[in-house]
Amino acid sequence: MSDEDTDMTDAPSENATDDSPTDRADDDLPPHRAAPRSGRLDSERRQGTPYTESQVIMPTVKVVAPFAFTFGLFVTFHGSGSPGGGFQGGAIMAAVVFMIAFAFGIEATRNWLANTVVVALAVGGALAFAGIGLVPVALGGAFLQYDLLPIPILDPVKYGMEGVEIVGIAPIVSGVLMGLFFLLANGFASDGGFGTGESGESRDDGGDADDNAAVADGGRDARGATGSDSVRGGGDR
Amino acid sequence: MTALAPAVVAQVTAIEASLLAFVVLTALATALARDVLAAVIVFGAYSLGMAALYTFYRAPDVALTEAAISAGVTTVLLLVTLAKTSRIDHDAVFESVNLPAAGAAGLLFAGLLLTMGDIPAIGSPDAPVWSNPEVSQWYLAESYAQTGVENTVMAVLAAFRGFDTFGEAVVVFAGGIAALIVLHREAFA
Repeated sequence: MSDEDTDMTDAPSENATDDSPTDRADDDLPPHRAAPRSGRLDSERRQGTPYTESQVIMPTVKVVAPFAFTFGLFVTFHGSGSPGGGFQGGAIMAAVVFMIAFAFGIEATRNWLANTVVVALAVGGALAFAGIGLVPVALGGAFLQYDLLPIPILDPVKYGMEGVEIVGIAPIVSGVLMGLFFLLANGFASDGGFGTGESGESRDDGGDADDNAAVADGGRDARGATGSDSVRGGGDR
Repeated sequence: MTALAPAVVAQVTAIEASLLAFVVLTALATALARDVLAAVIVFGAYSLGMAALYTFYRAPDVALTEAAISAGVTTVLLLVTLAKTSRIDHDAVFESVNLPAAGAAGLLFAGLLLTMGDIPAIGSPDAPVWSNPEVSQWYLAESYAQTGVENTVMAVLAAFRGFDTFGEAVVVFAGGIAALIVLHREAFA
């Protein structure tokens, strides 16, 4: 099931040179075992996202994820009265997304959690924090002077701080951590590492933004294809 | 140092000693493991031990951060990065010790150990937290009255040092943007 991904992204020259012996040795192994090859780099075999549907990990994550997410919400919302706060709670909620990605596939999780959500969390959190800080400035006070916040009935100082933690810090941290996770799972846009291949030349030849966008779009389309594969594999079961 | 050492040793409980031994052993295993995957996994165990140690020393906010960020998120990010890079099969479990590097690390360790005598014991009235009560005790006494928040750590971070916290949040945000730039991408997901 996961071999399709690696075959799609293999370099054609690599397929041409050493196809038969090592590939047959790999196919005899169960999918969770790495091929025994001493001292050899195997990066060309594992360019795709390594993923196996585990009957242990998937039910475990199904059970644990709601509780872990609720714990993250509790740490965020109850940070004023117990240890924790937006930073810790946001990290726990992002870790729940990591767990889901490990159990059900990174590509499927990436499709489920669109880029818009990740960007909206990070940018919206930063803007909300700045907004809570700037409202007292607009009312003639200092930056983050909570007692000038126009919060009716409730204590403006306490709930201003809660607002900073809940709608400011926690979304920034969870959004940025999820974004880092998906970015690292993708790797370089050129798929070639540091400055190899022609995409590096096209990046160097000077300020052509359309070229870079085209390269990025091509990579995104390829990833979309593999992601739909893993989604369909999950549906078949 | 000589006067302080017996008192410190007498206060170390069994659970504390076992946590310290666990942390030291996992740190050594991280440095010496030949396989990078094994080093990453042992490093996660080291972070979990540090989180337990922070809890033991009554710093639960730091322990939560250590457990969530260092043991959880950093381990996952390192694993994802390893999956994108190459991995070499080894016969040996542990790296052969590089003697110059071990000597440099030992010298640094010895230098740090020399400063241990000046660190006050846990709960000692000579600790700067207690010997400067006009600073630390003011926050403990006034944070609830001025902010209405029971957690003094959060009161300091979000109210008294709110501008610094805003800077930290912007640094986290800028870190995500920098990762986009370094990896030549225009979208997170």
